[in-house]
Amino acid sequence: MTNFENMVICRCEEVTYGQLLSTAAEHKCTARELKLRTRAGMGFCGGRTCRVSVDKIIESVSPDITPGDIPLKYQPPVRPVTFGTVGEKK
Amino acid sequence: MSDVIIIGAGPAGLAGAIACAENGLRVTVVDEFIKPGGRLLGQLHQEPSGDWWNGIKEAERLHQNAMNLSVDIRCGVSVYNLEKCSQNWNVHTSIGTLTAPFVLIATGAAEYPVPVPGWTLPGVMSIGAAQVMTNVHRVQVGKKGIIIGANILAFAILNELQLAGINVERIVLPEKNPNSQKAGEPEEVLKSLLHASHLAPSPLLRFGSKFMKKDWIRKMGINFYPKNGIKINGTPLQLRKAALEVIGKDQVEGVRIADTDANGKVIPGTEKIYEADFVCIAGGLYPLAELAAVTGCPFHYVPELGGHVPSHSETMETPLDGLFVAGNITGIESGKIAMAQGITAGLSIAKHAGKGKNNINNKLQQAVQNIRTVRQNAAIQFNPDIDRGRSKMKQIWEDQHNNNNQTQEKIG
Repeated sequence: MTNFENMVICRCEEVTYGQLLSTAAEHKCTARELKLRTRAGMGFCGGRTCRVSVDKIIESVSPDITPGDIPLKYQPPVRPVTFGTVGEKK
Repeated sequence: MSDVIIIGAGPAGLAGAIACAENGLRVTVVDEFIKPGGRLLGQLHQEPSGDWWNGIKEAERLHQNAMNLSVDIRCGVSVYNLEKCSQNWNVHTSIGTLTAPFVLIATGAAEYPVPVPGWTLPGVMSIGAAQVMTNVHRVQVGKKGIIIGANILAFAILNELQLAGINVERIVLPEKNPNSQKAGEPEEVLKSLLHASHLAPSPLLRFGSKFMKKDWIRKMGINFYPKNGIKINGTPLQLRKAALEVIGKDQVEGVRIADTDANGKVIPGTEKIYEADFVCIAGGLYPLAELAAVTGCPFHYVPELGGHVPSHSETMETPLDGLFVAGNITGIESGKIAMAQGITAGLSIAKHAGKGKNNINNKLQQAVQNIRTVRQNAAIQFNPDIDRGRSKMKQIWEDQHNNNNQTQEKIG
């Protein structure tokens, strides 16, 4: 079981399944709070890899959320870009 | 300046570009990858008719058609934001901001993994990555592979790996847990596979499918499922085995696998390590809708379509003026459907732009009908209930169109 808890869910920020479960249990988190507390989904890939897994964990720990809502917000930039790209001039 | 900016040069985006350009619109297509074609580039399979579907050829054909119509195609360009500014859309890209009154988002789908302990070891990849390495980059992924996850995507790509002479030793299920959910339950997996059984080269699966639609026969099928699996072109599909962990020091060396009961519960004492130098995880696909989301477009959760999809009509328009969608962003289906949707979106844009003369309405209706026809004749169906999903979205759209009392959810 420890093996399972040590399993990485968010690869960019190296957040494990165990960390997500214990944080959710301790703070009775909303999806957004769970993300902010653990940084799951906030790394380089913008959550493209772990979003579905994090959503499922949220569903399993807080069963009363409506499945229709998008639990985690999307924000620009949706791709990794340099400050030079988004800034005015280099 | 272009009239239309299309994000994504896959089957939907290129078909949309062609339809727009044929109706006199100036089109720019941007794509993140180094060459156009999108997921077509990885596809190679034999249709039930015996004809081969060669995605690379299809991509070349679409690319050539688009070039002949002077479509401006820019590869290696990422779009990181999309916003409306008065009458125009600003498409923020890695080469600067492009502006046009119409935007078609054809970003396709993304793969989701089923995490398994040890899945971050080098040598573990998504099944789609194995496809890209094999068919696009022509790199041998390994000598001895194990696929974790049994779904349509896994079988389609297994077949491609086999065609390339790559040895896949077995397909097993992920261990049943809150994350793998139905993907770890043998009976659920069998049920979903039966809808695609005409694709299975194994006569047993094909034959069985007619009978296994009945619950009790299916349960019996799972209870008596051969321990060593049923072979698919030589690779055993082992529905009663679950992957517990990918093991290895610096890279994949094997997978710890256990036998399971009919419900997917691990039978203690049956664990065994199977050697492998690569592991493919086949989770599934979900609509890649992040750009639609940042525009504020309303979304709906339609499981049959693969998750959250932007609100859209049958003619591929969204509630936002000038914003259109086509392809897998609207629901997970085959490349042929994506093309048919792309054509529809292109004609729809032409109509909104006042192009295409009198017969544009007819053309548009024909294009919508064509999507249905292609769907009915599809060899591969990712979700057996796709029709229900499409009807749901249509109903939602019509309800909202009829009364502006909107009950859409906003993202976030």
